[in-house]
Parts: sequence; structure tokens; C-alpha cells
Amino acid sequence: MKHDIVINADHLGKCYRRDAASARPDSFRDMLAAGLGALLRGGRSERAGRDAFWALQDVSFEVSRGENVGIIGLNGAGKSTLLKILSRITTPTVGYARVVGRLGALLEVGTGFHRELTGRENTFLYGAILGMSRAEVARKFDAIVSFSEIEDFIDVPVKHYSSGMYVRLAFAVAAHLDPDILLLDEVLAVGDYTFQRKCMEFARQLEQRGSTILFVSHNMFSIKTMCPRVIYLKQGRVIYDGPTDEGLRLYESDSELSSARWFHPSKDPSLVITDIELCAEDGNQKTLFEFGERMRIRIAYRAFKPVERAHFLCSIKRSDELLCCNFSSYYDNLDLPRISGDGAIEVLTPPLRIVSERYYVTIAVREKGLQQLVAGQIGPSFHVRHDVINAADFGIFHEPAHWRVLNSAREEMESECERR
Amino acid sequence: MTDIPAPQPDPSASIEIRPSKGLLDLELDAIWRYRELLIVLTLRDIQVLYKQAALGVAWAIVRPVVAVVIFTVIFGNFAKMPSDGLPYPVFAFAAVLPWTYFAEAVRRAASGLVTNSELVQKVYFPRLIIPIAGVIAPLLDFFVAFVVLLGVMVWFGVTPSWHLLAVLPLLAVAALLGLAVGLWLAPVNVRFRDVQHTLPFMLQIWMYATPIVYPITIVPIEWRWIYSLNPMVGVIEGIRWAVVGKSNPDIVAIGIGVTAIGLLLIGGLIFFKRMERSFADVI
Repeated sequence: MKHDIVINADHLGKCYRRDAASARPDSFRDMLAAGLGALLRGGRSERAGRDAFWALQDVSFEVSRGENVGIIGLNGAGKSTLLKILSRITTPTVGYARVVGRLGALLEVGTGFHRELTGRENTFLYGAILGMSRAEVARKFDAIVSFSEIEDFIDVPVKHYSSGMYVRLAFAVAAHLDPDILLLDEVLAVGDYTFQRKCMEFARQLEQRGSTILFVSHNMFSIKTMCPRVIYLKQGRVIYDGPTDEGLRLYESDSELSSARWFHPSKDPSLVITDIELCAEDGNQKTLFEFGERMRIRIAYRAFKPVERAHFLCSIKRSDELLCCNFSSYYDNLDLPRISGDGAIEVLTPPLRIVSERYYVTIAVREKGLQQLVAGQIGPSFHVRHDVINAADFGIFHEPAHWRVLNSAREEMESECERR
Repeated sequence: MTDIPAPQPDPSASIEIRPSKGLLDLELDAIWRYRELLIVLTLRDIQVLYKQAALGVAWAIVRPVVAVVIFTVIFGNFAKMPSDGLPYPVFAFAAVLPWTYFAEAVRRAASGLVTNSELVQKVYFPRLIIPIAGVIAPLLDFFVAFVVLLGVMVWFGVTPSWHLLAVLPLLAVAALLGLAVGLWLAPVNVRFRDVQHTLPFMLQIWMYATPIVYPITIVPIEWRWIYSLNPMVGVIEGIRWAVVGKSNPDIVAIGIGVTAIGLLLIGGLIFFKRMERSFADVI
């Protein structure tokens, strides 16, 4: 299987001198001296100096042909530096990498577009910048234009384009590059919703044809939908490389969301939630749910003192903290006269018909029905996925409704409906 | 997306990425592989040059003509500068044209990386393409203005001869010199923008150190060899000879010039390649 490795990174490291761009020499003489020094040291100048800063350190991994790998990490973790090294824009300070096949790198959509040139001229220019031959662009030109949906404006200088049109044209060109390996840096996050869907669709098509995709994103949702494997970078080092679900859990527990996760109503709580698990109906843990899927939420608790007539309230909140729905053991008439010690409780939700978005779960426990709050906790987050039903177009939830036609053609229509 | 066949990874297309390569690995083959990009970037520079300018490509003519008029008035009429027995406007024009080309080539080759910094930071390609495109694009201006020069010559009763053909190789020498100087200046300009600001003075001084407004004959014979170390001396004198056919080309001057250019170019290539690796980080 060794021959199927298309990207091999071996202990890659990249060191920047912190003062490289920001230093302000005091005098012209200093500047000349510094400049001469830098020139003499040549490309290796970044090795010197005490202000060395390792943007990437000891990064090793292999990617097989056809694999989609997400690269996650907080800002400054070295994700973009890694892509820049793999695409040869910048060179590593140490280490070695090997990339097999035609490489397309989209670190930014539309780099190299010239404002004064028309859409047509820019298509050829940008195609060449991305590594396509003129003949290749000419052959794919019609497909590019129809993908971009700006047929009427193709001979207008792009300075008259709206930013959306600009991005669509640029992406359309990039989409027709047909690389063996594609490096994407946040570029799918541009454009309006329908165009984003088109981009995801494009990525999926590439995947089906066996292309390898390395994908940097802060959007965990697109990472989840596209990549079965993630590499998690933290301060320039790989701290996790493996299945996406586990990697995202790690990432989310590291990011700020989880630092605000535990809260107790009092200093001496009578009960704490020790664990919250989100599972599919079959009981397997997961964080990405299909629209309409049921979810099992398992809540483990430890009661230091007995809690009378406990009331578990499980809420689903959208990522922007909008409360979407509650599942209440009290209103669902679950009788819990008295709980104490370690225990667990599970709720199986009805089919979740909330729109495609990111959500999180919060748990509250009350004593004696609606009285005294004894514990509250923000739980893990999850995504609901649906290709069409999204927050911008469908609001918060979507249920199929019952429709009836009331005009003169009513009877025919109704009878037709009945036949179905 | 159309029904394009699945990509067939070509094992030969594998890329090795490592910190440093040999000093003399200039990767000139990469320029050939990226020739399409070179053509497209050159075309872009040409297309963009006169967009949104009312006079358009006429600027290619206006600039040298204005220079020639000024030189004719000041040096030809007031200072009574000798001009090898030619009408002064023809004498000056034949030298101003290649000089204008050369100065523009140097300017573009030296500042191209910074003007295209967006590309340098976000896309991979052999960086040498940018100075090379910068040297090729202003050739168009040269040829447009060259037609005007021929008209001026006919007007003053100077007939061109078969020597005219020698313009092409001499122009190529000027282009290589422009590239060589650009290769030295461009990496410095990436780090210190001062180059961009100093360049106009440097070119101005260089112009007066080249026989453009005056004939080489006013330089004392014993200093001639030092003077000829300026590679543009041979080029300008050569082109003047090729265009108007008078005065003999100074083979020694051209020889010195070409040797100097060769050394400058090889050194420039090595320097540029060496600095290239840090462009994206420093620019």
C-alpha cells in the first residue's frame, strides 16, 4: 500500500523570526547592516536570532490517495503554514515532505484576479495561475461560466462585479482544475448559502473521483461532513490524528466553549452531573445527526444528598444560545421520588426536526418538581445535517405540513391525491 | 462540472519539499514547465498597462517623443552637442528608445514581486517568472515607438539600411541586462522598499553615464575602456549604428558589455534563487 501514499510529511518544521517584518531599525546604518546580514545569511536567516518562533514543529503524517483530511486548530496553530509548505509557497526550515500527483492549492479564492480585466480575461489568467494550460481553460470555459452563473457579465471588467459574483467566478475556475490533491484553506466559507452548497457538492464530486483533499476550516460542520479523519494542530504540533468525531471532541474540549461548561448553583451542591453523552438511537456515541434522527441523551450524576422528586430538564440550544426545545422528565411524567448516590438517566428524543446547524445540550436538575435548582450544566455540542433545510431559509424547525387545494380544480386534484 | 475523466495521478509529478537545495540548482526547467503562466502574466501586464488611459497605447510614443524634444532643445540647440553628423532628433531618438525600454524593464523586474505580492503569498510558481515577464512586457512599447522612429528618420532624410536587423540581438542584450539588474534588486526590494524609491535616481544617473544625449566621441580616448564597463554603452552605440548606419559599432564595448552582463546575470540568478525561499515570509 506504500505506493498509495500521496502526501508524506516527515518532521516538518517552520521557524519565523519574530522581528522579521516588524523590526524598525533606528538608523539607516543599522538598517543597512541588518539588511546586509540578512542577505548574507540568505534563506536561512530565520534560524538565527533569539526571537525565533516555531510556527510548525515536528509535523509528520501520511495521507493516502482518495482520503479527505480536515486540519483543525485554533488561530495561529500552524494550519495555514502547513498548507503553504505543502503547496511550496514557503519552504520548511527543517523536515521533508513529498507530494505525489497534480496539486491544486486554493489558499484564497481569486488571488491574482485583475480588476481592470474582464471576467473572460480573468478566467484565463486565474486558470494559468492555478496551473492550467490555456488550451485546458479554453476547453472548460463554457462549463466554468455556467458553474459561476454570470454568463451575462463575462465580458465586463471584474471591478464592476459584486463581491459575490467575483467569488463565484473565481471558485468556478478553481473547481475545474481537476487536481489529484486539493489543498483548501477556509475557501468554502465564502459566498451565500446556495453557493456554499455548490462548493460542498463540488468537493464531494472530487472525492468520488478519487481526489485527495486536505481541508482547513473553522467550520466544524463542514469538517464533519467532508472528512472522516482530522489532524488537530496545537501550537504548531500535531496533537491528534485520527477519526473526526474523537478529534472534534478533543478540539471542542480545548476551545473556550468547554471552559465555561461546568457551573454549579451553589458551592456545596447536593448533586452534580458527571457526564453527558449524545448517542444515536442504536446507542453509539456521535456528534453529527441527520435531520429527523432521534437522539439518546445519557446523563450520569452523583447525588451527595438525596434529592426529592427530581426533575431533569434537557434543553437543546442553537450555537447562538437560542433555546430551541426542552425535554422535561416532569412534564413527561417520569416519577423520580428520591435519588441518591451515583446514577444515570437516559432520554430518547422524538425525531429531531431542527434545521441544519450546530447545537448544544444543557441539563438542569430541580428538586420537588419546579422548585430549587440543584444542578445545571452545559453539555456537548452536536450538529444536525440536512442539505436543504437550513436556518436562513427554514427558521428553527421543519415539519411537513398538510396541504389542500381550495380552487375550482379542487376535486380533480383531491382525487388525484387520494389515488396516490 | 463536466464529465472529465478521473485524474490519473502521474507518479513522475511528485514534488519533493525540503529546506535547502544546492547553490547552483537554478531550476530553470521549472520556468519551461510554467511557460503558460509566463505568457499569461506578460499578456496581463500588456493588457492592463493602458486600460483606463484616454491616450491608450499612444503613451508608448508620447513618453520618448517628449524626452527627445527636450533633449533636442537643450542639448542639440542650446548646448550645440555634436551628434556624429546626424540630425540631433534622430541621433537622440535612436538612443532614447532602447534606454526607455531598458529603464522600464529594470523598474518592472525589480518591483514586480512587490506589485504581485498577493500572488507570491498565496500561489506557488517559480518566482523568476515575475522579473522575466517584467522584462518582456515593455518590448511592445519599444516596437510601437520604433515605427515612429522610422518615420522621424524618413522625415529627416536618413535612410535605414540592412543594419536594422542588428537591433533585435542588441535589444535581447538590453533585455538580459535589465533582467540581470532586476534579479539583484528584486530580492532586496522584497525586504527593503527603499529600492523602489532609489531606482529612479539610479536610472537617471546611469542614463547620463551612457551615450544618449551625447556621442561617445566626446569621452576622452584613454577613459573609453572604463566607460565601456557600463554594459549599456555598447548596446546604445550598437543600436544607434544599426538604426542610422553611421559610426561603427564598438565591438570592444559590446564585448565588454556582454561579458559584464553574463557575470551579472549568473550572479543574479543564484542570488535570486537563494532569496526566493523567503519571499513569501518577508514580503
